[in-house]
Amino acid sequence: MDIGWYLAASALIFAIGAGGVLTRRSPLVILLCLELMLNAANLALIAFARMHGNAEGQIFAIIVMVVAACEVTVGLGVIVAMHRRRLPIDVDELRELQG
Amino acid sequence: MTLHLSIMLWLPLAFGVLGLLAPPKVAGRLALLGTVLVLAYAIVYVVDFDSSMAGLQHVTDETWIGELGISYKLGVDGLNLFLVLLTALLWFSCTLWANFKDWEKPRLFYFHLALAQTSVLGALLAQDLALFVVFFDLMLVPFFFLTGIWGGAGRVQATIKLVIYTLVGSLLMLTAAIATGVLAARGNPSLSFAFSDLAQRTLGESSQQWIFLFFAAAFLVKMPAFPLHGWMPDGYRAMPLPVLALFSGVLSKVAAYGFLRVCLPLFPDATQQYQTLLLLIALASILYGSAMAFTTTETRLILGYSSVAQLGFITLGIFALNAQGAQGAILQAFNHGLVVAPAFLIVALLAARSEGSEDIRDMGGLAMRAPALAALFLIVTFATLAMPGSSNFVGEFYILLGVFQEKLVIAIVASAGVVMAAFYALRLYITTMHNRTGPEVQSREIELRDGLVLVPLVLAILALALYPQFALTRSEPTVTSIMSPGTVSGSGWTRYGP
Amino acid sequence: MSLLELFAWMTLLFPLAGTIVIGLNGRRLPRRAAGYAGTAALGLSFASAIGALVKLQALPHEKRHVVAVAWDYAYSAGVDAQLSLLVDPLSVFMILVVAGVSTLIHLYSISYLDSDEGYVRFFAFLNFFVFSMLLLVLAGNFLILIIGWAFVGAASYMLISFWYRRTTATNAGIKAFVINVLGDVGLVLGTFFIFKHLGTLDYLKAFESVKEGFPQTNDGDLVAGCILLLVGAFAKSAQVPLHTWLPDAMEGPTPVSALIHAATMVTAGVYLIARMHPLFEQAPIAADVGAIVGCATLLIAGTTALAQTDLKRVIAYSTMSQIGYMIMGVSAGAYAAGLFHLMTHAFFKALLFMAAGSLIAAMAGNQNLDRMGGFRRALPFTYGCMTIGGLALAGVPPFSGFFSKDEILLLIGDRGGWFWILYVAGYVGAFLTGLYTFRMIFRAFWGEPVPEARELEEGHLHHAEVHTNPATGEVEDTAVGFPGPEHHIAERESTMTIAMGTLAVLAVVGGFLQIPQVTHVIDHFLEPTFEGSALYAREPSGGLIAFGLVLGALVAFAGIGTAYYVWVKNPAIAVSVRERFAALYKLFLNKWYFDELIAMLVVRPALWFGAWAQQTFERIFVNGLLVGGSTGVVRAGSSAVRAAQTGFLRYYALLIVVGMVVLAFYFLLAS
Repeated sequence: MDIGWYLAASALIFAIGAGGVLTRRSPLVILLCLELMLNAANLALIAFARMHGNAEGQIFAIIVMVVAACEVTVGLGVIVAMHRRRLPIDVDELRELQG
Repeated sequence: MTLHLSIMLWLPLAFGVLGLLAPPKVAGRLALLGTVLVLAYAIVYVVDFDSSMAGLQHVTDETWIGELGISYKLGVDGLNLFLVLLTALLWFSCTLWANFKDWEKPRLFYFHLALAQTSVLGALLAQDLALFVVFFDLMLVPFFFLTGIWGGAGRVQATIKLVIYTLVGSLLMLTAAIATGVLAARGNPSLSFAFSDLAQRTLGESSQQWIFLFFAAAFLVKMPAFPLHGWMPDGYRAMPLPVLALFSGVLSKVAAYGFLRVCLPLFPDATQQYQTLLLLIALASILYGSAMAFTTTETRLILGYSSVAQLGFITLGIFALNAQGAQGAILQAFNHGLVVAPAFLIVALLAARSEGSEDIRDMGGLAMRAPALAALFLIVTFATLAMPGSSNFVGEFYILLGVFQEKLVIAIVASAGVVMAAFYALRLYITTMHNRTGPEVQSREIELRDGLVLVPLVLAILALALYPQFALTRSEPTVTSIMSPGTVSGSGWTRYGP
Repeated sequence: MSLLELFAWMTLLFPLAGTIVIGLNGRRLPRRAAGYAGTAALGLSFASAIGALVKLQALPHEKRHVVAVAWDYAYSAGVDAQLSLLVDPLSVFMILVVAGVSTLIHLYSISYLDSDEGYVRFFAFLNFFVFSMLLLVLAGNFLILIIGWAFVGAASYMLISFWYRRTTATNAGIKAFVINVLGDVGLVLGTFFIFKHLGTLDYLKAFESVKEGFPQTNDGDLVAGCILLLVGAFAKSAQVPLHTWLPDAMEGPTPVSALIHAATMVTAGVYLIARMHPLFEQAPIAADVGAIVGCATLLIAGTTALAQTDLKRVIAYSTMSQIGYMIMGVSAGAYAAGLFHLMTHAFFKALLFMAAGSLIAAMAGNQNLDRMGGFRRALPFTYGCMTIGGLALAGVPPFSGFFSKDEILLLIGDRGGWFWILYVAGYVGAFLTGLYTFRMIFRAFWGEPVPEARELEEGHLHHAEVHTNPATGEVEDTAVGFPGPEHHIAERESTMTIAMGTLAVLAVVGGFLQIPQVTHVIDHFLEPTFEGSALYAREPSGGLIAFGLVLGALVAFAGIGTAYYVWVKNPAIAVSVRERFAALYKLFLNKWYFDELIAMLVVRPALWFGAWAQQTFERIFVNGLLVGGSTGVVRAGSSAVRAAQTGFLRYYALLIVVGMVVLAFYFLLAS
């Protein structure tokens, strides 16, 4: 199959993810959308690896998965901590770090 | 015997890091141990110093960043030997003093104190322009935290002012340093920042001029010299006293030392050209600092402005551009540090006896039950005002004599500063120790631990007063080699037979 | 080290050792031990000085200048300053006078200061004072001279503000010190001018090369240097206009006044000019300046003394005026005469102050002449000493002051030319001396006895329970040092009697050392020091000598007679004269307004500048423009950048995405 299809699918998923990150206010959904973007990238990496016939892309993909797992763990942890402190689960209201 | 300067340089930091890991109560003791070892090292260097040699001794020279021509080069010679000793001595005294007090977050406090010592030693020992700049800027970091965390009222404002103002100077210096290296490399095979190489590759006159001015600005801010001393009053008010003693005693001297180490050998033409300008700035510092010192009523600021005046004298000596002036400046830099540090520590004692107030209007009559304190303070006061018989006088004598040979009028006007010094120093002594007892004053003798810190410093003052030759002999060859015929105006001089 | 050098060092080191020993251990020793230790140190010092004298006289005439070097003090970069002493007739003469008279003053102080809380401190300071003066006169080069010079100033400061709870005392101390530092600076700058040409700080080398360094007389640099040296001399010797500290220095305990006025400190200027005579002879203009200032001082001080009512201040002004004679003398080339007067003056001035101290003790601390009177019978010994001192001071034959003062005037008259003006002024001054000295003696000892005198006649010494400072009305703080209620008078204390008796004898016979055309002890002794001098040991004509001696005696008697007529015989005259010449009286009473003048010209502008700098310049320019400017720029820059930090997470995400898109487009278009 032509690599174009893979890339198209990857781009679509990435766009959906990016759109989600930009539009949603719940940190949980933003995390989910981030996952989508990462996996879109993974898809592209693996497709290129297949095309070139070497393992580098796959290695990258695996590293990205590990990073994604860490990120989700930390992110979910933060969200749980926020919930415990009864902070609003809304990124627009959490803006104390302004200049 | 080879003595690695690197060991002395990094010892304090190593003990500081150890202190971070140790239990809070031990941190201070560890830092103290570090300063004792450094002091021992410094004494060994002074004893081991070959005073017939003009060049560097105990040199360490390793490539650090080869592509940029930056090397890790350390060495002692007549210019920095006594400043190293001063640093070691004052850090020991002030760390000992700090050990008798309780600090919040002691581990962090002593770490910063140790880091400060390493950076000051680094700036003094560095024989590479880039290395010098790195250490010179690094000095600011620990003092930023020491003032910002452990300082007195208004410390945040003061710290920001101090850091931004001196950083502006440092940035100018960084620019100038890079430009020096790059411009000097033209027509040479490779880049090098080592002082010895740069001194060979003299720059063109026009680039010398702006680079000299940039360096001068950085040094004058650090000193501080009139009119760039604006950060000083707030900074001095906010710093905790042992830190202030170090800052005023040592850091200002590093700036003066910078002139001798960087400006004179590297930019000889510009130095000659701006000699009068720098002499006038120094003169203004002397007169202005003295005038301020006898009108202000805060003890810290009296000492602060007197430092402005004294640093003016040191600058005056450096820019006399002859051997006498430079000899005087080096001696005076050591003397002033040795005198101003106990003076600040005594201010702490005075404040403790007048309900914490550091204003002379709240003091008075302290000598009554404290004869030992009165005697120590009197010796320090007389040394501060450079009374003949003190080593400070020998320094000022050489400085004024050096200037006198070059610019007679400036020397005569500057000597007015000596008279003013007599007035403000005695005014400080009398209004605190003599006259009627202030309303809240509790006169009591110093305790043993205060004596442990002050008495050695005062003994050092007395010893040097008896035998200033000790310092002069060691700095003479280096000074004469710097003041080579290229920079000495007027006739040369010869040593007269005994 | 030869024995002579050893003696010189010992002379110097005994008082220093005394200071250290007393200062460190004095409080642990029994009462009065500090006093005896201090006196013993000085006694040993005096004995060493005699040893030095003997050894020096044993040397052949032309070798009587020995330099004793301890170590290199500041020997570098062309400056040749060693820690060295010069032992020659002049310095030996000075150490004999200084150590000798100081020993007696120490002896006197043992009991005089007895009830003072600061007893130990007093003797430590007193020893240090004498050490400083000895260092000054023994110094072998300019740098050590300056050190001794400044030590004397510092010691005088410590002793003048000895009762440091009195604000008047601390103010007087700081005034003395600052004026003395001004003198030090003069000395330093003068040294620079001389060093510039001669290239050495060593006395002997410098004096040898004066002619090569300054081939012409009145070379500009040499004159400038010598005048700056004179500034130092004037500040220390209280010559116009740098004299204002001396009367205020009376705030110190009376033995300190005796020490400052007789043995140490004020004579330093005279010594300096004598020591630097090769320079001054090469710069006659500077020497003339010295002579004129000395003359002006003796007249100004003499007239001021007439109007003062504080006993010690009257004696202080008399010192100023006598030092004026000496400065005038040595500046005009009458070296031996000036130093001779220095010696006799040391005897009788110390005596006068000691007697004054005894009198003040009898008055329980009160120094006001208006309150005194009729102490003749109550204090016979003190009265006798005061009279001997007064007669010597006034220059009545055959007391010591007569010979020494007349010799100065004689040699000045012998110079001829405009020196005649100084000669005449000198005799006017001598008349004034007789007048004010006996005004003081008559008012204090003659007339109706005051209650204190009556009490003493009955055997009760008046004691003040509460002291108040006459200047401010404050109650004195006796807990820290001001003498307690008890006082000590010469009639009852053997140490005081011995000291005063010895000085009284010296004040009578001291003059016989040098009687014109009869004895020449001082002339001969000092000759090796002044070997190259053209002005030394001139022999005036016999007619001038006879005329001078007769005139001097007549003037002295006239002064005393007038004093007797005005203050004893016919007291109404004093009042009417005072009213007739009210303006003049006011001028004298206010000490010629020198204090006010200096305050207006120097002190107030300096304080005004300081205040202006503090309030205006510092705030607006230094802190506002420079610091505010540079920190302001940094702050403005950072707040501009900070505006981008909104805190909206999605806003940041959008920026990232937009950035990526822009990058992507860039690569697309670029490829």
